[in-house]
Amino acid sequence: MLQQAQTVTSQISGADIATAAKYLAAGICMGIGAIGPAIGEGLAAAHALDGMARQPEMEGALLRTMVLGQAITESTGIYSLVVAIVLLFVM
Amino acid sequence: MLEHLGQKLIAHVSIGSFSFSFDLITIIMTWVVIALLVALALFLRRSLRQDTQEKPNRVQAFLDILIDLLQKQLTSSFASERLARELFPFISALFLFVLCSNWLSIIPYMESPTKDLNVTISLALLVFVMSQVFAIRMKGGMRYLRGFVEPYAFMLPLNVVGELARPVSHAFRLFGNIFGGSILITVVSVKFAPVIVPAGLNIYYGLFSGGVQAFVFAILAVAYINVAVES
Repeated sequence: MLQQAQTVTSQISGADIATAAKYLAAGICMGIGAIGPAIGEGLAAAHALDGMARQPEMEGALLRTMVLGQAITESTGIYSLVVAIVLLFVM
Repeated sequence: MLEHLGQKLIAHVSIGSFSFSFDLITIIMTWVVIALLVALALFLRRSLRQDTQEKPNRVQAFLDILIDLLQKQLTSSFASERLARELFPFISALFLFVLCSNWLSIIPYMESPTKDLNVTISLALLVFVMSQVFAIRMKGGMRYLRGFVEPYAFMLPLNVVGELARPVSHAFRLFGNIFGGSILITVVSVKFAPVIVPAGLNIYYGLFSGGVQAFVFAILAVAYINVAVES
């Protein structure tokens, strides 16, 4: 049993560990990086809905500002996406 | 197809001791977008009439509505009427180029030029140079330079970095959205669901997200120029 375990460990090379760490890092990067933008965009949508319910005639302006704000909020998520893509395809 | 995801068709050119690399697919696709826009403009121009005595035909009415919509959306976000008049052609050209680039990927065998970081960075640099030029023109050289040491002199590095960070975030936002969408479409259509699903993904990422991102790109360009001119 111990011998078997030893042969298994000897088959795993440093490159394998690096590959595994790369995929793991990309997953963690995207997963944690998506939390912030998700909360931010949800808040923006919630407040825009509040405003629309209160003043339906402002819907057009609110929608435009909301989409713009969400797109800006999204940029931190996009940065983590870029980092994850770099980890997966470039490194 | 998945093996080719990270690969590109690169041409290396060396002039003297300098060597340049060109992504051929991006260059070709950019020219396709330009050709599409020019062809559309030349085609639509034929049905435009200068005199207003006649009833406008369908194409002219449609273009009127389109330009009116763009103008209404953009003019309200500019700082002044004069700025809006001067910059409307530039911003709308930027919007049309980015929109056509984003929508090009829904045609088979075509790729969005905006999938390449070099294209989005050059577009963002264009906006950056425009904003600096307009800031110097509107405020004058001394007031422009003094803007960097306000409110305090030790804020200078912060102001410079803040100014330089804008084109970076502007470029990466567009690139990340389009590139991420294209990777998702490729992975899903090759690995999980080769039929029907890619069509829906293309509609969302190609048409909807591409349109929103093009609009956001144009509006952010307006916002950056506004901030540079005002502050």
